[in-house]
Amino acid sequence: MANDRHGRYRFLAGAILPALALYAVFVLSPYAQAFYLSLTDWTGVSGQVQFVGLDNFTRLVRDPLFLAALRNNGLMLVVVPVVTIALGLLLAALVTFGGRRGSAIRGASSYQTAYFFPQLLSLPIIALLWQFVYHPNDGLLNGFLRAVGLDALARTWLGDPHLALWAVMAVLVWSSVGFYMVLFAASMSAIPTEIIEAAVLDGAGKLATLWRIVLPLLRDSVQVAFVYLGVLALDAFAVVQVMTAGPGGPDNATEVIGLGLYRNAFTYSRFGYAAAMGVALFFLTLTLAVLALRAGRRERVELA
Amino acid sequence: MATVTYTQATRIYPGTERPAVDHLDLEIGDGEFLVLVGPSGCGKSTSLRMLAGLEDVDEGSIHIDNRDVTHLPPKARDIAMVFQNYALYPHMTVYENMAFALKLRKTSKAEIDRRVKEAAGLLQLEEYLGRKPKALSGGQRQRVAMGRAIVREPQVFLMDEPLSNLDAKLRVQTRTQIASLQAKLGITTVYVTHDQIEAMTMGHRVAVMLDGVLQQVDTPRALYDKPSNVFVAGFIGSPAMNIKTVSLTDGGAKFIDMIVPLTREEVEKARANGGGDKVTIGFRPEDCDLVGPTEGGLPVVVELVEDLGSDANVYGHAALDGVSERFVVRTDRRHMPNMGDTVFVKPRADHNHAFHAATGERI
Repeated sequence: MANDRHGRYRFLAGAILPALALYAVFVLSPYAQAFYLSLTDWTGVSGQVQFVGLDNFTRLVRDPLFLAALRNNGLMLVVVPVVTIALGLLLAALVTFGGRRGSAIRGASSYQTAYFFPQLLSLPIIALLWQFVYHPNDGLLNGFLRAVGLDALARTWLGDPHLALWAVMAVLVWSSVGFYMVLFAASMSAIPTEIIEAAVLDGAGKLATLWRIVLPLLRDSVQVAFVYLGVLALDAFAVVQVMTAGPGGPDNATEVIGLGLYRNAFTYSRFGYAAAMGVALFFLTLTLAVLALRAGRRERVELA
Repeated sequence: MATVTYTQATRIYPGTERPAVDHLDLEIGDGEFLVLVGPSGCGKSTSLRMLAGLEDVDEGSIHIDNRDVTHLPPKARDIAMVFQNYALYPHMTVYENMAFALKLRKTSKAEIDRRVKEAAGLLQLEEYLGRKPKALSGGQRQRVAMGRAIVREPQVFLMDEPLSNLDAKLRVQTRTQIASLQAKLGITTVYVTHDQIEAMTMGHRVAVMLDGVLQQVDTPRALYDKPSNVFVAGFIGSPAMNIKTVSLTDGGAKFIDMIVPLTREEVEKARANGGGDKVTIGFRPEDCDLVGPTEGGLPVVVELVEDLGSDANVYGHAALDGVSERFVVRTDRRHMPNMGDTVFVKPRADHNHAFHAATGERI
């Protein structure tokens, strides 16, 4: 018995230790390194590293560009998850319960495939595509508006400081909504049909069923979606880098933390300062994840 | 309070040819407890779901009182349903589960509270009102599902095998509870089950279905005493009736040397419509006696004796026209034969059932 247990621990150790070692080398040590670098003035190329304490961080909170980035990321953090999740839920509900008597609509899987499609493209390609779509003269969007006689609504989408960030957020939502729709649809089809039927017999319309029965039963999925989308909104580097003027423009309207980090590190060779930005971003993301997961940590709902 | 009328109601699932429910005609009286019973796939649940509005009606119509509900949405029909798996809302407490329908109808808080408390009292659920379904036992969940239906005070109760997820003892207990509750509330109830004992003990009337077709609808007593065809005869009663197709003579049905007497009219009917010289005879295990070797009984070789405590079931076989046929007889414990014995079985006069050999209809 004791021997048996011994053998099992050895097996477990053998399985876990290599993974832990890799994790330490490739994940933990870069983190530690970044934390250390954020307290220095390293340029990234020279061998000279001077310890400067919290100087980088005091500079950070007075850096107007960083504050602009913080504001933009903050707005995205509110808008992108909420809109994406709302749209994802709505589409998933339409596909799963939109048919007669709350059954799945015909061709449900082809809708899912179509909406999932953006997920197959890499983010820079999506950004490039949308740059074309937003083009003020030849873009699909303005072209469409003009074609249907809505010339007055045509804009220089990425050139207008009031619109640029919204245009970026629209791309983020477009690129992720399909994935969350598929995620939510999968959770929805795990709900026993009798529960939906019981709600229908109890007199609940489609909206009431969605809001009072389906949504509470999907809480876990929605919560995870919030964390993922929050992380996406705090990043947004790729889309902004590829798509916007500057990048980050016009007038810093689309400046994001990741962009400042990248610019400081690779353009201005201020690796220490960039590392400080990374550390700040790390704590922002961590706080978000903890808050989001804590918020819904009531007792778990189990489907009977 | 309401009556329910199915008129030629038919359901054909898309992509299938045979109707799941085939021209069902059924009238259910005000306050009646009607049980739909049959083997799985016979269309009993579909019939119920058609009444609930969860299933389309492809032909015919369904009326509640004199209102045509055939194409009304479920919520316009004023019915409540108890599901086999109870379908309680997992994220709501017992109280919220029961109050949900009333809340949607914008019933006042005080009224909701009164009705939920009343139903909870009726079902002994008062202590559990604050609990979630997952913290309840199977029997308690079943009662919550009942409570959710009761607080609605609907015109019709529908129950789809509400007891089949309970263990045997609880099932018997709950059976009587539901029956007495229904009697107290006086609400028209349609109850679906595959268990003929449930059907016989609970229903005011029982409707037996097979392959989407209604076979017979009558009181449990009449169903037992006068089954209208071979299927009903074999389905109702446990152990099942002995049903054998044997040669017909002028005097009756011939079981080797034993003649089960039939009247001349019965013999004529059996011969008509392609019946030929065969007839199907049924007699219940409890409707026959074990007699002495010289008293004209059917010799049966005993294979198994089931001692039930109060009495015993004797299983055996006899060769009819060269084919070995099985028989069951219920007997007094004091006269229990042993395995391998030959007993002589004689059906009691006037307790046998004669059916047409070709159509299976009662003669």
